[in-house]
Amino acid sequence: MISRRLFLCLSASIAGLFSLAPADELQHPAGSAAERNFFTEEVWGKVAARTCLKCHKAGGDAEDSEFILLDPLRDGALEHNRELLTKLAKLREPETGGSRMLLKVIGELDHGGEDVLTKSSTRYRILADFVRRTNGERPAPVTLANATPFFEGVRMIDDRRLLRRLTLQLGARLPTPEEYAAVQVRGLAAISLVLDDLMNEEAFYDRLAEGFNDIFLTPGIDDVAENVLSYEHFDKTRHWYQKKDFSHIKDEQKRKEAGWELARHYRESIQREPMELVKYIVRNDRPFTELITADYIMVSPYSARGYGIFEEVKDRFKDIDDRFEYIPVRLKSLKGRSEKTNQESATGFYPHAGVLSTFQYLKRYPTTETNRNRLRVRMYFQHFLGIDIMQLAPRVNDAAAISAKYEVPTMQATDCVVCHKIIDPVAGVFQDFYALDGKGVYQPRAGGWFEDMFPPGHEGEALPESERWRGLQWLGERTAKDPRFAIAMVEHVWYLLSGRKALRPPEDIDHPLFAGRQRAYTGQRRQIELIAKQFAADKFDLKGVFRAAALSKFYRADGLAAVANDPARLAELGDLGVVRLLSPEQIERKLKAIFGSDWGRLGDQFNILYGGIDSKEVTERIADPSGAMGAIQRMMANEVACRQVPKDFARKPEDRLLFPGIEPDVVPAAGTEAKLRTTILHLHQRLLGRFDKSDSAEVDRTYELFAGIIAEANERGRFEPREIYSCRVQGEGDKRVEDPHYTMRAWRAVVTYLLRQHEFLYE
Amino acid sequence: MRRDFLKLCGLAGLGVAAPLGSVRASSKEPDAYDGPYFAVFNASGGWDTTYLMDPKGVGGINRLYKAGDILTEGTLNFAPSAANIDRAKKGNLSNEDFFKRYAKELFVLNGLDYSVNNHAPCSRYMATGKLDSLAYPTFAALVAAAKGPECPIAFLTFGNYSNTGNIVPMARVPYLPTLGRIANADCVEGNPRSPYHEDFVNDRIEAALRSQSDVRASQARLPRIEHAHSMLYAAQLNAKALQRVTPFINQKPPRERLARQAEIALASFKAGVCVSANLSIGQFDSHANNDRDQMKLIPELLGGIDYMLRRAEELGIRDKLVIVMQSEMGRTPNYNKGEGKDHWSIGSMMFLGPGIKGDRVIGSTDDGQFLNPIDAQTLVVAQDPDKGLRMRPEQVHQSLREFAGIAGHEASKKFPFVIPEGERLRGALFG
Repeated sequence: MISRRLFLCLSASIAGLFSLAPADELQHPAGSAAERNFFTEEVWGKVAARTCLKCHKAGGDAEDSEFILLDPLRDGALEHNRELLTKLAKLREPETGGSRMLLKVIGELDHGGEDVLTKSSTRYRILADFVRRTNGERPAPVTLANATPFFEGVRMIDDRRLLRRLTLQLGARLPTPEEYAAVQVRGLAAISLVLDDLMNEEAFYDRLAEGFNDIFLTPGIDDVAENVLSYEHFDKTRHWYQKKDFSHIKDEQKRKEAGWELARHYRESIQREPMELVKYIVRNDRPFTELITADYIMVSPYSARGYGIFEEVKDRFKDIDDRFEYIPVRLKSLKGRSEKTNQESATGFYPHAGVLSTFQYLKRYPTTETNRNRLRVRMYFQHFLGIDIMQLAPRVNDAAAISAKYEVPTMQATDCVVCHKIIDPVAGVFQDFYALDGKGVYQPRAGGWFEDMFPPGHEGEALPESERWRGLQWLGERTAKDPRFAIAMVEHVWYLLSGRKALRPPEDIDHPLFAGRQRAYTGQRRQIELIAKQFAADKFDLKGVFRAAALSKFYRADGLAAVANDPARLAELGDLGVVRLLSPEQIERKLKAIFGSDWGRLGDQFNILYGGIDSKEVTERIADPSGAMGAIQRMMANEVACRQVPKDFARKPEDRLLFPGIEPDVVPAAGTEAKLRTTILHLHQRLLGRFDKSDSAEVDRTYELFAGIIAEANERGRFEPREIYSCRVQGEGDKRVEDPHYTMRAWRAVVTYLLRQHEFLYE
Repeated sequence: MRRDFLKLCGLAGLGVAAPLGSVRASSKEPDAYDGPYFAVFNASGGWDTTYLMDPKGVGGINRLYKAGDILTEGTLNFAPSAANIDRAKKGNLSNEDFFKRYAKELFVLNGLDYSVNNHAPCSRYMATGKLDSLAYPTFAALVAAAKGPECPIAFLTFGNYSNTGNIVPMARVPYLPTLGRIANADCVEGNPRSPYHEDFVNDRIEAALRSQSDVRASQARLPRIEHAHSMLYAAQLNAKALQRVTPFINQKPPRERLARQAEIALASFKAGVCVSANLSIGQFDSHANNDRDQMKLIPELLGGIDYMLRRAEELGIRDKLVIVMQSEMGRTPNYNKGEGKDHWSIGSMMFLGPGIKGDRVIGSTDDGQFLNPIDAQTLVVAQDPDKGLRMRPEQVHQSLREFAGIAGHEASKKFPFVIPEGERLRGALFG
């Protein structure tokens, strides 16, 4: 038995040994992986980026303080911010010895009047931990970041399926046999080349316009399209179509219809202009910054008449009767009905700034006397910088009391200033477009801009008075240089390709799965930032973004090698996989690509019901199908199969799309199974993009469906030897299709079954 | 194992269509949902509560009436409107008529603090009870997910904030006849006498799809793909139940916009294919000409609500219909230079339906339209305002969840409200 004294000595030594290990771990030199990770994931990720950065940055409410953080997008920002916060963490109050950082955040030291955190909050604990670690004290145990590679265990999509997804998505067509062959041999390298060609096809530009329309929503005005041209400046020309002479059409009804059709086409040609600009920029390999800097707009022969410039530009059109042929033009500065409403311009031209200055955009996002262009600012930030400034409005203690207390709350109340200091200067940049309540677009405010708003400018830079007449161009130039522009454009392309917006940082830092969600976010974010960096380096070549995004693992992730049960890992994988419910337009295009003709009912009739948008009231696509959408899917599958199966069999075998190698008289039997399975393989590939093996479970199931139907039809005894009346071949009158073996109906059932599947209805 | 997986998916923030807590979507057509039904009416843009359920008539707050003109029905005070609305316009209903008909059933909540006064966050806050999250579902979506996720159009929306939190699909049905057209999706032109396939063929198609779904359920899949498979299967299976709507499709639908929405919602409720509906009319944002706009829209709103209640009566579901009436903000207690009123972060709500004690007001505002804090236990105006509670949307939504019997449901737990101890309501809000 050892003496108590020896025991205590030994214990102390042993304890010292153990205590050395953690202490040694704690004494990592600054810059060790664990320390850096702790700062990035915890201090920055959960605290500083979400709270401090709101005010402690250039242009922020605390910009006059000594503690100014850098925008994380700037090179070296994180290191700068870490050094700054580390320095701050070392500061002590001389009297109490308490940490200045910790005392400030809970309001025990003056912090601009705000206690930002409470002592019991997770964020405070993180900062306290950081302070202790920075000062060499013993903190809570450090959990190192998950070292598992993000994509471990994640299967990528088969190259052939990727090819098909891209040609359908971007080219509204199936891959050619040559493209398939190239991909079989060269994999992703071949896909890259296919993409280059694909992005020169007209269908790609149409898709580009459609995708960006989902973002900008410019057609969604509460007025007829020609009224984007104001009465004040275009009164003599905007309604040109009403003067068109149709007297050569004798029939009165047809004459009216001709007039309506002209109006319809004219309106559509005006509505399309902003997205035609997008197409023009990309088609002509121009830097995509022209989205906000282009010193021109796109006009068609029809819309040119509305602007009153048709005679001037008509020789530049290839076909002046093509209402949707667009050319770039610079408008002269606007001439009003009286001189005082003439537009001020130092150059004699309208100060175009890409989509931002188009009448369509400004009318889509109008202003009111009280709104003061703030809606436009919100949309500007969202569309061009990828920031939703209304996303997370900070809670205000008593907004009503603030409104009553301050004469100008937006300039005086801290809770309001934090946002309005950023928003209101940009609102002032739009000041010359102050026609209210949608009545026109260009109109400087009588009496000048508001003095109870922060002066016009952007990110701390004032708009010089000499630049006011071209304020939107001034803003556009700065936006084009803002690193957030490139990121926003990459995010838009991601949305176009995947149908989903890019992830935002997870909100609840106390959630048990926060780490997994954060990893999902940062993983995707890094990819987006990489692509954005390259985009900027490539002079804003948008096609490069499509290429990079389409070939990225995020786009190609398609499955798991093994079932995942760990909730944290599930949280990391939560957003992976394209898995996009096709929109009404995409379904129709896919049907056309596969069958040679679309269905035609997802346009007006079922568009909204099937999750489409109208750019006005309904602006977000539905991502998950309701039962009503399920019913439409069933209808579509039934009707398309009914139409296409007999139609295909009526073609010559060499012209068939669905059944090139089989005739309706081939029934299931020992000698025919191989042929039937080959047909099924072809259908799987053509309709679903599946490359199954002949003896796979999926082919078995389809074969059993086909064979089972025929067997049961025979078991039931006599059956009608002809197809149902509705499933006739078009152009053959009332003649019903002969179906003595029930095979037509069985194949129709197979096609119905396939069209109801995930691989058809989703990408 | 699958139940655990669903729980994990729930934790991971994924809505899996197989109803939360159940194993997976059933292989048979869902039973008709028998109520209660929830209709949330949104006066989008910010209504002027002083022209409806929180009358003032003092201090220049209102120009169309004075304090002495304020009317009462039961214990409910309301602003007069009959003299200032177009009563001849079809579908309009004056405040007088509305309160006369429904005061006994109406529960009014005044002095609600929206905390901010901007449309986007306020709409979100009002609809979900959560200001600082984009992930939370609206109450209508939540109750649909909890009570009837297998319903083919469990959550119907006609606009306004409609986030589903990924726990239930949303349905948009712009025209009632459209439902009729898709009701018999397996028949030519919806004619039940002209099926595309014979029954045995349909059965085999369904069996093949079910078999495929079963096989896939056992495979390793990315969570998003699993979710999509599940939602798709459920949507197509549940679609068959839409046939039940056909008998309730009004062959002479109304022309008024809210009544049209109500008609679609009611037909769906009656058919047992819908749990909740988000109805909405806009343009309440009266920054210019407040009185003209509010006197045009409030009667339209009340007329729409009245239509819903009367039609529900005709359809025999009035006693199962819960109505919530709300807007994302109020209007200022003063007029701006354009005769309009601007945003005000204090507002009101109204409720009506089975289990809701009517002829009751909780909360109030003073003559400056500032809220009076209430006692958390008694729900009356606090004697000491500093110790009183500022009623906010999260308390209302917590109470709504309890009232609807879904506070303990997995869906609600996924989207909890963090209400500090001192700010929780102790009294029963809905009586």
